[in-house]
Amino acid sequence: MSQHARPVAITGAGVVTPLGGAPEVWARASAGERASGAIATLPLASLPDAVQARATRAERVTQLVLAAAGAALAEAGLGGTEGAPDPGLGVVLGTAFGCFLTNASFERRFAEGGAPAASPRLFAATVSNAAAGELGIAYRLGGPGITLTAGGAAGLVALGHATDLLRASRARALVAGGMDAIGEPLVRWLDGGGLVVGRPASEAAALVVLEAEEAAHARGARVLAMIAGHASGFEPEPRAAGAGDGLAATVEAVLAEAGIAPEVVVSGAPPGLAALEERALARALGAARPPTIAPKDVFGETFGAAGPLGLLAALAAVQPGAVVLVLDVCASGHVAALIARRV
Amino acid sequence: MREIARASLQNPPTRAAVITGYGVVSPLGSGVRAFFEALVAGRSGVGPIAGFDAAGLSPSIAAEVREASISDPDRAGAFALRAAREAVADAGLEGAPPARLGVVLGTTLGGMRLFEAWNAGRRTDVDLERVPYFAPSVRVARALGCHGPVATTQLACASSTHAIALAADLVRQGRADAVLAGGTDLLCRFVVAGFNCLRATADVARPFDRDRRGLVLGEGAAVVVVEDAGNAARRGARLRGRLLGVGAAADAVHMTAPDREGGGAARAIVAALGDAGLPPDAIDFVSAHGTGTPYNDAMEAVALGRVFGDRRLPVNSIKGSIGHTLGAAGAFEAVMCLTAMAEGIVPPTAGLVNVDPVCARLDLVFGGPRRATLARSVSTSSGFAGTNAALVLGRA
Repeated sequence: MSQHARPVAITGAGVVTPLGGAPEVWARASAGERASGAIATLPLASLPDAVQARATRAERVTQLVLAAAGAALAEAGLGGTEGAPDPGLGVVLGTAFGCFLTNASFERRFAEGGAPAASPRLFAATVSNAAAGELGIAYRLGGPGITLTAGGAAGLVALGHATDLLRASRARALVAGGMDAIGEPLVRWLDGGGLVVGRPASEAAALVVLEAEEAAHARGARVLAMIAGHASGFEPEPRAAGAGDGLAATVEAVLAEAGIAPEVVVSGAPPGLAALEERALARALGAARPPTIAPKDVFGETFGAAGPLGLLAALAAVQPGAVVLVLDVCASGHVAALIARRV
Repeated sequence: MREIARASLQNPPTRAAVITGYGVVSPLGSGVRAFFEALVAGRSGVGPIAGFDAAGLSPSIAAEVREASISDPDRAGAFALRAAREAVADAGLEGAPPARLGVVLGTTLGGMRLFEAWNAGRRTDVDLERVPYFAPSVRVARALGCHGPVATTQLACASSTHAIALAADLVRQGRADAVLAGGTDLLCRFVVAGFNCLRATADVARPFDRDRRGLVLGEGAAVVVVEDAGNAARRGARLRGRLLGVGAAADAVHMTAPDREGGGAARAIVAALGDAGLPPDAIDFVSAHGTGTPYNDAMEAVALGRVFGDRRLPVNSIKGSIGHTLGAAGAFEAVMCLTAMAEGIVPPTAGLVNVDPVCARLDLVFGGPRRATLARSVSTSSGFAGTNAALVLGRA
């Protein structure tokens, strides 16, 4: 798999969570603080003026993305907001629910007031790629503009897709990761049995800037970590006794691609699927089981943000050179895995 | 004006992606045969909305799937599953799916009709698992017992074009042996009211016509089997076509209006040609996005001019026949391209009577089908938030 081995670098990172943004969020987490639910105040003030104005009038998912992406692009030194769209820059976002909350608002107003109450402004933001579109306009990203969902595994699937696009030279740098907004209609849907989560639902975005390693070195960018491999798969019946073949095959695939052994595993399973994750890890890793951490115990269930947030939490906790294996496991059946090495 | 495709040959894919099967559930009927014959005949599936209460909606016409056998409340999932089963059978994979079978579907609405009923409190018996955007992919993946990658692309009206592109990446990178790729979308009050309030809809879709006034919505699902060429050869599969190149690019200009310079659409096509390692001259036919809105069609004429220059090659849009099926549109158009190349016949652009002078540079196929020898085609899609995606498809 020589083509797979082409290294992809993380050169910037940005997170928004109920515990704040980087770097203070990692100190608060390691001090034992816990938080879940909505983010009280988004750090929009540090964004460039034009982006801040755009964020202020945008729907919630876009606000989360602009806040996190602004921090990631600034750290990577790629935060230009003027000039022609750059065909080499793009975005790959993963989300479990996209514009669920905007859909609920549009639908509610229309149901109550009929066609005259249907809002063009709201409807334009009912597409889940609204955040990617706004981000592209704000930061002149004229390359691939991609949004996908794979349930609660969407964040790692997005990082994987972005990695493959960079390996195939289809972009020079990509903002990639995941996000989800939390609000009353979504909580009502979750509580009604839409998706079994088992932890408090939390709002978050966790985005990174990815570049081919040689491109990052060529422009003198500081490399935070390297992505060594990724994989995704599916569990058709995740709650069935003995399930775990899909995740085990996914972990085996990511280990084969990365060719390096993890020193830390970031658990991704909701409590109800802990046994499935355990079976899959036992099968794929055998006796050589590194310690497991669960950032979801700190941040709650952040859905599309969970995998990238777990990756960044683990990278903040390990020594330079350490290798982390991050898992996403969703009750929908979606599973994903990623291996990265801190530089 | 002409932009030369950048060939990205420094990292040629180690594997090739081929298409070994396809299936559709369309407003012109179920099954690729019925769908394509109706397109060639210039038939339209557009009519007054009958499948749900359209009171208060204006316009209230659309291209509905009129299959009495599909009464499932999860309409998008039911469409996708039927199209996927046709594609699996067409590919000869029934009962013998590859170990690493994936599913990548595009959608803009997913389980929206269920969501409407639940959110308005009208029904409490809704199967909530079928509501989210990822539900149709999950339903197909569960029904077929998939263990490979499963994802749902969300690029508005370019969703299923990029679903096929992502499937190509998964196969070429060796991450799956085969992927069921395409899109599904449904009609409901939510989407009709939404497009109506944007004043984007009309009573008839007239792509590229001087009198075009807007789009007509449609629904359905189209699914192709994207397979590793080596895997297909080993099992002696018949090819429906080749997936030669994929590309995506954002306008980065405006959230709802297309870039009048056609920047993103041109970049997506150029990227797909670069991925295929082909010059624009290698393309024989273009399936346009061609929604019938004033801005989109004018933008596309500019974008195609930027890529193909003054060369006149056949261009059509099938949205006058099946409406704009949103997240399924690109997959329907890919199936049309594959069939057109195999049979050497381009279906006409239904609804087009008088070509708009701003689109005159395009050799539009209308008034009747056109016989032509077609080796390679481009299918292009654009959507809300300035997203664009394109495919380069080859004859088997």
